[in-house]
Amino acid sequence: MSTSLDRTVLPGELRATDSAATRTPSPPAALLFLYTRSFSNRLRSQAARIRSPRYVAAVIMGALYLYWALFRNARLGGGPLATLVRGDELVPVFAALLLVSAARWWIFGADRGTLAFAPAEVQFLFPAPVSRRALVHAKLVRTQLAILVNTLIWSVLLRGNSASIEGWQRGLSLWIIFSVLALHRLGASIVRANAIEHENAGRRRSIIPLLVFGSLVGAVVFGLGSRYAVILTAADQGMRAVGGAIVDALHQPIPLAALWPVRALLAPVFTTTTSAWLGAAPIAFVLLMLHYLWVVRLDASFEEAALEATQHRAERLLRFRSSQMGKSRSRSGKLSRVPSLALTGRPEIAIAWKNVAAAIRGGAWRTQLIAFTLGLATLAIVTRSASARAGDLFMGVTIGWGVMLLFLGPLWMRFDLRNDLQRLAILKTWPLSGQRIVAAEVAGVTVLHSLTVWSLMIVPLVMIVQDPSLLRDSGVTIPMLCSVAIAVPVFNALMFAIQNGTALLFPAWVRLGTEARGFETMGQNLLTTGATSLAAAVALVFPVFVGGITIWVSDVFGSPLGVWSILLGTVLGCIVLALELWPLLVWLGSVFEKTDVNDVASGN
Amino acid sequence: MIEVEQYTKLYGDTVAVRSLSFAVRPGDVLGLVGPNGAGKTTTLRALAGILQPTSGSIRIGGVDLRTDPVAAKARLAFIPDEPALFDYLTVTEHLQFVARLYGVRDAGPRIPVLLEELELTPKASALPIELSRGMKQKLAIACGLLHQPSALLLDEPLTGLDPVGIRRMKETIAARAREGTAVILSSHLLHLVEELCTRLLVISRGEAVALGTIAEIVEARPELAGRSLEEMFIALTGSDAGQTAAA
Repeated sequence: MSTSLDRTVLPGELRATDSAATRTPSPPAALLFLYTRSFSNRLRSQAARIRSPRYVAAVIMGALYLYWALFRNARLGGGPLATLVRGDELVPVFAALLLVSAARWWIFGADRGTLAFAPAEVQFLFPAPVSRRALVHAKLVRTQLAILVNTLIWSVLLRGNSASIEGWQRGLSLWIIFSVLALHRLGASIVRANAIEHENAGRRRSIIPLLVFGSLVGAVVFGLGSRYAVILTAADQGMRAVGGAIVDALHQPIPLAALWPVRALLAPVFTTTTSAWLGAAPIAFVLLMLHYLWVVRLDASFEEAALEATQHRAERLLRFRSSQMGKSRSRSGKLSRVPSLALTGRPEIAIAWKNVAAAIRGGAWRTQLIAFTLGLATLAIVTRSASARAGDLFMGVTIGWGVMLLFLGPLWMRFDLRNDLQRLAILKTWPLSGQRIVAAEVAGVTVLHSLTVWSLMIVPLVMIVQDPSLLRDSGVTIPMLCSVAIAVPVFNALMFAIQNGTALLFPAWVRLGTEARGFETMGQNLLTTGATSLAAAVALVFPVFVGGITIWVSDVFGSPLGVWSILLGTVLGCIVLALELWPLLVWLGSVFEKTDVNDVASGN
Repeated sequence: MIEVEQYTKLYGDTVAVRSLSFAVRPGDVLGLVGPNGAGKTTTLRALAGILQPTSGSIRIGGVDLRTDPVAAKARLAFIPDEPALFDYLTVTEHLQFVARLYGVRDAGPRIPVLLEELELTPKASALPIELSRGMKQKLAIACGLLHQPSALLLDEPLTGLDPVGIRRMKETIAARAREGTAVILSSHLLHLVEELCTRLLVISRGEAVALGTIAEIVEARPELAGRSLEEMFIALTGSDAGQTAAA
């Protein structure tokens, strides 16, 4: 009897008449299909946005920016960061930094996002005839996309001149580094998750890696400690001398030996000739293969660890960065306390309060702030006690951290619209204008991040308490500190307004949520920070001009304010910046009201 | 009171909803039914102020949603089928947040009552991640009821609830209607619609195909007399015709 099914043309393996025994599942092909199709479809849907004039303008601006950021120094014979890899003196320093970063994954736990699968992947892959090993491979394939993009970015940034290795050689070396780091993070996640799941038995399995890492980090600390006096003396001669003393300390036999695996991994990037590269690259490749074999051998622990991580995805998504301190409840089940919310008053406060609660419970903001402040205070006491020069040097480092926090903090702290746009349908039912919602979203993170930056003030305050003569001879220091204290929240508001504005204007292109990203996305972060800083620089032109003119006029005409004219200039500059921010927030509010929930949903 | 006049929503050239007009009086429960993709969620989202209509007008409690969206939204509550909660606020904190957002003056005494009514009191300090699907749904409903809206929009409100929870929820919806709230309930559960709703709006392919009480619908379409609501639904939406053609 003929049926409609018989007439339907189906691939051989899909025909109902085939018995189960004759079917040959092909998970790798299916997974490859899933990821390549998902990637191309995502690209296609994002490209489809270019029909909108707003996205067209963004593409043109983005292309110009990328050209400027990546190729601006082409005529000078190298990428913007090429000088970093023109010699191997810095290899031990980078190796030590990488080692500490990897140790952090073991001690505090890597981001559980490394393990988690999307709900659809759990639904389709876990019950399917797919081996655990194939699931590990699926995870590895997925990380390769970010690795390849960032390899490309860094290859361009670090490209050399005629005296350097070929571009493909440097690209391959970078790919090996990023792949090893991703594998290591995945391996650490599996071992850590397994240790938590299986308690004693699991902990025993994680002892060896912890011992190995503890020994390696200990060797590096020992190397630096043994040259502490030299580093301290070098502090009197400035930053360059301190850097040189640290490099020398890390070149001692013990730290050098401890850092060997990381140095071997980094070495190919720092080679300048093809023959040197041919000598270094195979060792790095062997390290890559060893990591691969290690992670693949962990497959037995993988599935349950991945499932556990996936089940906690909602919690993890809101966890800031990868800190395990970000758990909402303590081991005893106590919930992190947040400031109480009065039931009456301006509704914007409720929105800002909600974001503060998320940062405290999901991002361990308060714990990190306290630890950060105490650490800074301790270092201030130690350095100022060692010598005045060392204290000054640490003050310089603190200023550097402050600048870095001002520019990078708004990228990291995402408890604002970048998180809430995922619930845009609910936000749109709130009885508030778009402008008030956007302003409230920006205000919460602005307050939190301003407190973080202000915590750096502990360094000069501690030093003044230690040595009160600093206050007497401070000159412009106190007006400067007051100016910074006033300018920080206004500047933060600008930076967060730019970040939130970008998410609102281009929801299809901006990553929503607070999920942490790994080392392999460092290149993208670098470019994003550059773009944000450029936008901020444009906004700052007029306020800086007004502030600068005020200080100059006071100086030239002998204002009675004296050095306090700095504060006056800052206040005026901040007022101008606030006046710029107001129409920006009004405009973003209207964009919020016009944003279609379907645009956000389809984009993410 | 919810008043919809000539509401139309287009996505590019695709018509999601065409010229929809209806009104829901205080105390009425309007059942919004239709096949998948008929435009029910689009309609509910437009009524909640989430989607801008391409044309037509929507008034909530006499306030035009387009010209004064804030005042209109203050009078309504929308409870989506998938509860969207904030991961780091407890059950009570969600209600405190909503109280402040909507300016609820008597929230202090109302919150414990609402928690009790929806059987959430034992979970008052729990985070959403610690709640079952049904509990999350109850919390979303509690948040929607706190400010005593004059228009209540419910999208599949019984999803994830156990039999006791379903009974409680039906009582809660009926109680709100008795208090004078205009309710629109979208559901595929026709027995729920039949039990709770005073009137029906059947939409298919973005257009209203029937509106009124069951008696009024039968009066307009005499061939539906004596049929069950399920049979009426299939006949009105042409779902059986589509299936027959596919077969």
